Order: sequence, then structure tokens, then C-alpha cells
Amino acid sequence: MSANDASLHTAVNDLYCEHHGWLNRWLRQRLGNAFDAADLTQDTFVRVLKARSALEIREPRPYLSRIANGLLIDLFRRRSLEQSYLQALAAMPEALQPSPEEQAIMLQALVEIDRLLQGLGPKVKQVLILSQFDGLSYPQIAAQLGISLRSVNKHMAKAMEHCCLMQIQMQLA
Amino acid sequence: MSLTLAERQAISAAARWYAALQSGVATDAERAAWNAWLVADPVHLQAWQRMTAVAEQMASVPGAVAAPALRGLERSRRQVLRSVMILVPAASLGWLSWRSDTPQQLFADFRTTVGERRQFQLADGSSLWLNTDSAVNVRYDGSQRLLDLLQGEILISTAPDAAQRPFKIHTRHGEVLALGTRFIVRTHEQNAEVAVIEKAVEVRTASAGAAIRVEAGQRLDFNKRSSGAVQRSDASVGAWQQGSIIAVERPLAELLADLSRYRRGVLRCDPQIARMKVSGAFPVDDTDLALTALESGLSLRVTRFSRYWVHVSAAAVSH
Repeated sequence: MSANDASLHTAVNDLYCEHHGWLNRWLRQRLGNAFDAADLTQDTFVRVLKARSALEIREPRPYLSRIANGLLIDLFRRRSLEQSYLQALAAMPEALQPSPEEQAIMLQALVEIDRLLQGLGPKVKQVLILSQFDGLSYPQIAAQLGISLRSVNKHMAKAMEHCCLMQIQMQLA
Repeated sequence: MSLTLAERQAISAAARWYAALQSGVATDAERAAWNAWLVADPVHLQAWQRMTAVAEQMASVPGAVAAPALRGLERSRRQVLRSVMILVPAASLGWLSWRSDTPQQLFADFRTTVGERRQFQLADGSSLWLNTDSAVNVRYDGSQRLLDLLQGEILISTAPDAAQRPFKIHTRHGEVLALGTRFIVRTHEQNAEVAVIEKAVEVRTASAGAAIRVEAGQRLDFNKRSSGAVQRSDASVGAWQQGSIIAVERPLAELLADLSRYRRGVLRCDPQIARMKVSGAFPVDDTDLALTALESGLSLRVTRFSRYWVHVSAAAVSH
């Protein structure tokens, strides 16, 4: 451990001692349960440690609550994805229902796909889903959305480029 | 690490090629041109491999599941989390609900408390789901299978009966006769409603008018004396059985009123935002989470005076 690392750890440690109490309460208020709040509090400080920016923080409260808020939204995204996933499953005939193990794997895969799609505009995303997941041809998509073939093509290229860059970014993270 | 300019450009080009070839109407000339581009530079090939890796990842979940899941999420997120909202000037919609805890029927055969949902198997093999705060008496005899819905909401999935006894739900507003089916009945102070998921039912109001037939995908409101018109029901019917409320462009006040059925205490909506339109899937088993989603997504302020006293208002605008 270098001297730099040592002072960074001390800084995070001080932050933790001073701020984890209110942060935990803040998260608990928003989540309504202690387990998730404890998890997210922990995750918040892990983020701070990874970002290696603890030494430069001037205003810890807004800084920490901004990170925690991001994590809160991630958690909610995951929950709401899980919910729409379960609804989609429930709509399938029983014979085609995957086993609980397969379901867990699929949900994780969906979470990752959803992450690729993050940040796409609604129209672009709609086109991507219709093409890649519903398997529609461009003329069908154009007819359904009332847009030109050219736009479908453009939206698709944009969506694929975005997803590819997201995938690369995630592999690097 | 970051991408070089050449790599970045190759990814753009690969995405355009991918889009062109996916159209379902790509020509041979286009395919030949793509092939020429592909072999012209190793960077192109690498970019194309990246593109196919993305396509593979997307194909890892069957489209039939992924499409509705991602789309459902899109809807709820766009409106719930990205705070797209429509504010319509207020109408007076003050106290949404006042739940005094005076259970009507403490001694019913089957009952659920606020926030509870349960499934029961009946003697003939029929299934009975009770939604939150509901009570049912079961009266089976030699000539009929009768459920008395005292309070709340139930979902029935009937089983065929060896003795061919009719299956009926009795409410104080009228009676519902099942015709081999799956359906929902809910009773209120002033009226009752039925929504059919499979097959059909027949409704007879308490004052014994003519029977009204309600088919799958339809719903009907009725009271003692009369019934409304048979209407199309939407996809959100019965979502509670899977633990959620599905809202599509619903006024916020209505959604909160629905959520408040699953929690004790007062959930008050500021009249200023009562008509704000909201879409999304909201968990009924964790209404606090649902409120959190509304809060962060719609820039609402949820003030918790106590666990049992919650006020929802517009967030203060900061300048």
C-alpha cells in the first residue's frame, strides 16, 4: 500500500464514520426497509473507495447522497424490470414456462440487456425492440410506428452503435 | 482504455451495415458491398465482431419474454422514472381514503387483512384468491356452490363439478353465475363490479332484472337496481394476483387510491396533482417502494408524518 493509498483509506474511513449513520437513515426512509438500506449504504462507500476521490470531497453530504440516489435508482430499475419480466412470463403458456434456475439466468441476462439499452431515446428503443426481440421486418415496423423505412434504418443503426459502445464500456468497467 | 478514432468510426459503420442487413429487405448488392467493407480492414472485422456480440447478447433471452419485459419497463420508466408527466389544473379530490380499522366480518370463513393476498382451494377443486381486506363465506350444498362476498375483491377459477351444481357469487348488490370460467368480483359500498378473464358469467342484480352476460375481456358495474353497460376491460385487471397494480395513463389520485387499499392509514393526495397521468407497474406488497418510485420519478414529494399518515404533493420548484 502506497502512502497515497493509505491516506485515501483513512479519508474513506473518516467519511464512513461520520456519515454512514444519516446516509443509512436517508436510504431507509426511501426504501422503507432496513436490509436494502444497509446494502446500499455499504455500496455507496464502496463506490467512493473505487472512485479514489475521497480526498477531494469538499461537501460530503450532497456527494454521498448523489451516489446513493444513483444506486437507489439502479435498484428500482432492477425491481421494476423483474416485475415486468415476471408479468411477461405469466403471460406465457404453462408448458413453455422455464424452470426457476432458467428464470434466474434469464433475468440476469435481461438486466444486462437493459443496461445496453440505457440512454436510448424512446423512438430508437422502440424500433430496436420491434426488430431484435419481436422479429419484425423494417416495412412492418415502419407501418406500425407510422414512420419511413429510412427512419427505421437510421434508428436501428443508432441503437446498435449505442449498444455496442455500452457493451465495450461495461467490459472495461 | 479508450477507442481509437478508427475503431470508433468502424463501429459506426458496422452499426449501419448491421441495420441495413437486418431490414428483411436487403439486396444482394448490399450484401456484396458489406462483404467488401468487411475484408478491407482488420479494424472493420473487429467492429463487426463486436456488433455480432451485441446481437448475440440480445438473443440470449427469448424475444417473447424480452420484448414485453423491456417494453413494460420502458413504459413505467419513461413515465415513472424519467418524470414525463402531464399536469392538468386541479379538481378537488381531497381525502382519498380513510381506513378505519373496523373489519366488517371478523368471522367470515375466509378473510384477508389489509395488504394481504391469499389463495384457497375449495372443496370442489375451484381456486379462490382473496385480494387485500376481503371476506368470503362459503356455502356449498347439494344444489349449489355459493360464495358470499362480504367485502373486498376475489378472483375465482372454477373447476367442473361432478354433480353439475351451479357456481354463484352472491354480493349485496346482485349475483354472478359462473359459466365454467375465471373472473373477478369486487364489492363496494354502493356497487359491485365483475371482470371476466376466461369464458363468461351471468349477472343478475339484486332486484332481479334480466340476466346480463359478460364475456372474457369484458367488465360490468352493477348495483341493486341496475347495471351499467358491458365494457371492455384492460390488461390491468387481476394484476393484483401477481402482486402488482398496472397503471396506464391513470390519474395519480386513482392510482394512489388503489395503492391505499394495500396499506393501513391515510394516503392523501394534494388536489393540485390529483389528475396527473401516471403509467407503470407498482408492487402491492411494498407500497412504500411504489411511493418511492413515484417520488423520484415524478418529482413528487412524499411526506411521511407517521407510518400511517402519508401526504403526496408536488415537489417544491427550486429556482
